[in-house]
Amino acid sequence: MDSLLDQSSLFLQQLVNGITLGGVYALIAVGYTMVYGVIQLINFAHGEIYMLGAFLAYTMVTFLGLPFFAAFILTILICSCFGIILDVIAYRPLRNAPRLAALITAIGMSIFLQNLALMIWGSQIKSYPREILPSIFYQTAWGLGEVTLSWLQVFILAITVVSMAILHLIIHRTRIGTAMRAVSLDKTTSALMGIKVNRVISFTFAIGSAMGGMAGILVGLYYNAIFPTMGYIAGIKAFAAAVLGGIGSVPGAMLGGGVLGIAEVIGAGYVSSEYRDGISYAVMIAVILFKPSGLIGRQIGEKA
Amino acid sequence: MKKTALCLLIAWFSLTGAAWAGSTIKIPVAAAFTGQLASFGEGIKNAAILKGEEINAAGGINGKKVKIVLEDELCDPKEAATVATKLANDPKVSIVIGHLCSSASLAALPIYRDAKLPAISPASTNVNIGKMSPFYFRNVYKDDFQGLFLARYAKLARGFDKVAVFYEVNDYSMGLMTAFQKEAKKLGIKVLGTEAYTSDTTDFKPQLTKFKMMNPHAIFIPGYAPQGTLIMSQARALGMKNVAFFGADGLDDDLMLKNPDAEGLFVTTPFLPDKAGPHAAGFIAAYKKKYGKEPNWFAANAYDGVGLAAQAIAAVGEDRVKIRDYLASLNSKEKAYKGVAGNTYFDENGDCLKEAFVKEIRNGKWVSAEKQLQ
Repeated sequence: MDSLLDQSSLFLQQLVNGITLGGVYALIAVGYTMVYGVIQLINFAHGEIYMLGAFLAYTMVTFLGLPFFAAFILTILICSCFGIILDVIAYRPLRNAPRLAALITAIGMSIFLQNLALMIWGSQIKSYPREILPSIFYQTAWGLGEVTLSWLQVFILAITVVSMAILHLIIHRTRIGTAMRAVSLDKTTSALMGIKVNRVISFTFAIGSAMGGMAGILVGLYYNAIFPTMGYIAGIKAFAAAVLGGIGSVPGAMLGGGVLGIAEVIGAGYVSSEYRDGISYAVMIAVILFKPSGLIGRQIGEKA
Repeated sequence: MKKTALCLLIAWFSLTGAAWAGSTIKIPVAAAFTGQLASFGEGIKNAAILKGEEINAAGGINGKKVKIVLEDELCDPKEAATVATKLANDPKVSIVIGHLCSSASLAALPIYRDAKLPAISPASTNVNIGKMSPFYFRNVYKDDFQGLFLARYAKLARGFDKVAVFYEVNDYSMGLMTAFQKEAKKLGIKVLGTEAYTSDTTDFKPQLTKFKMMNPHAIFIPGYAPQGTLIMSQARALGMKNVAFFGADGLDDDLMLKNPDAEGLFVTTPFLPDKAGPHAAGFIAAYKKKYGKEPNWFAANAYDGVGLAAQAIAAVGEDRVKIRDYLASLNSKEKAYKGVAGNTYFDENGDCLKEAFVKEIRNGKWVSAEKQLQ
């Protein structure tokens, strides 16, 4: 039982679990970091968009009977609309107010959305009935001895990598991406150059919320547990991931998510499962202590 | 001038208060009625209301009507302390039925003790509760008994020799684990490993992956159903097909039935409708008629709890200390309260010893386990 082979397959399995979790954290963290990059606001309601994503997909699949992939696309679209609405209602009126005011509004929106979900869906944990989802999700994609990788994990990792790649292309290869980078450098000057700043900000919210919603769907599937407060813990973790990677930096959010996910799983697996969250936060604190700008954050200069 | 007005107001309030106290007897029931553990509270709520109605239909207590008041504390220790303070300061309250979760009971208990307010918990099984207050009673068995019973059952009825324990970081779960481990050692069950989780966890894969490498016959989950169902699904997803799962009363929840991966799970329970005997038939029929389903053990114990409170008030009136002394005097089999979930009589700590049963999930339904240990 304690042979070297078993030990290494245990480690490999934990690594697979950690990378999957990290991928999800990265998807959420990107939403935090993009919004921060553009308007220097920590959007605390982002975790709730993630929660709404999970609930919307669940409702569409179980109550409206939509096929899973249709619900997936539809939910992402609705979540990006939610992001825009959130910005228009809660943050745009406070654009020139002190940053603290917007921050408090963000916390307020977070509490509001959480309670709204509580009213609509109730507090009980919701789970997808198994027969409703594509059965391939539960089959093993790749197995080596005791190590297994399910198709669901493959799906999560693939979605994460593909959406990150698309995001990178949008930011660096399109006009709107260039505009986003310009706004993150200097809002006023960008406006003087003819960039429609509010539209760029709305777009940022849309993209960030789409990714947050997507993460919600994936987590809902992976752990099969959907509940109104799920956004809170995930939001805090993803925020920690964004800070760990360097807030405002998109590659930083990806790296931070990965590091945090792996640290959490390895910590729970090898150190103590009782202090699982403590271990992941300790890693974050250690990084911030020695490198206050995060792993690949820049001190000044462009952010997104 | 102002002073006299205030005095009049106070006088008016106390007079009307006395008038209300004169016409009805308020019995508060404190448990989780919303939140994650609301399904536990549901049985308690239903049965308490049912018992209240039955008492009133039979003429009330000494001619006064009973009023069941629900106090929601979400099984959260902070909320439980708030509710307890409110009840302790309400002069119309002479006894409390509650609380549900052990952590909530432990938070409420010192407040009741200081206010000399007796309480009967229908569901808190943590070992330490009884010892901490002469005013806290319970009509459910303790975790040391439950854990011991489970270890014996696992070994003697099921033949498990290698077991892993997956516990939640709270008073209930850890007390249960300790009792189980102690008895397992005596019986020669090898506990391969213990892992923990917290109530907000949804990812159990790192711990389960460790268990998988240990190859246990069974995994003991001394926790609650919302996490239990996830643990079982994630274990199956990791390829642990032949591992059995068992738990205590905390997993005794219909939530488990929605999960096809929970097939075969067995749990201890203080009450089984088909093993309850003739004296419970009336309760089971009335409950089924009113709520359309069989009562679970939470319901049975809450029903007995309200019955016990009513008997105490009928005997000694609405004085807190007298009620406490009356309950404490029910200390032998002969003096026991004969309820639907067995006979309740208290030891010097206010704890009681009752039988345990085992039920399991077969074809997506809770049924009495074929093998019982009596």
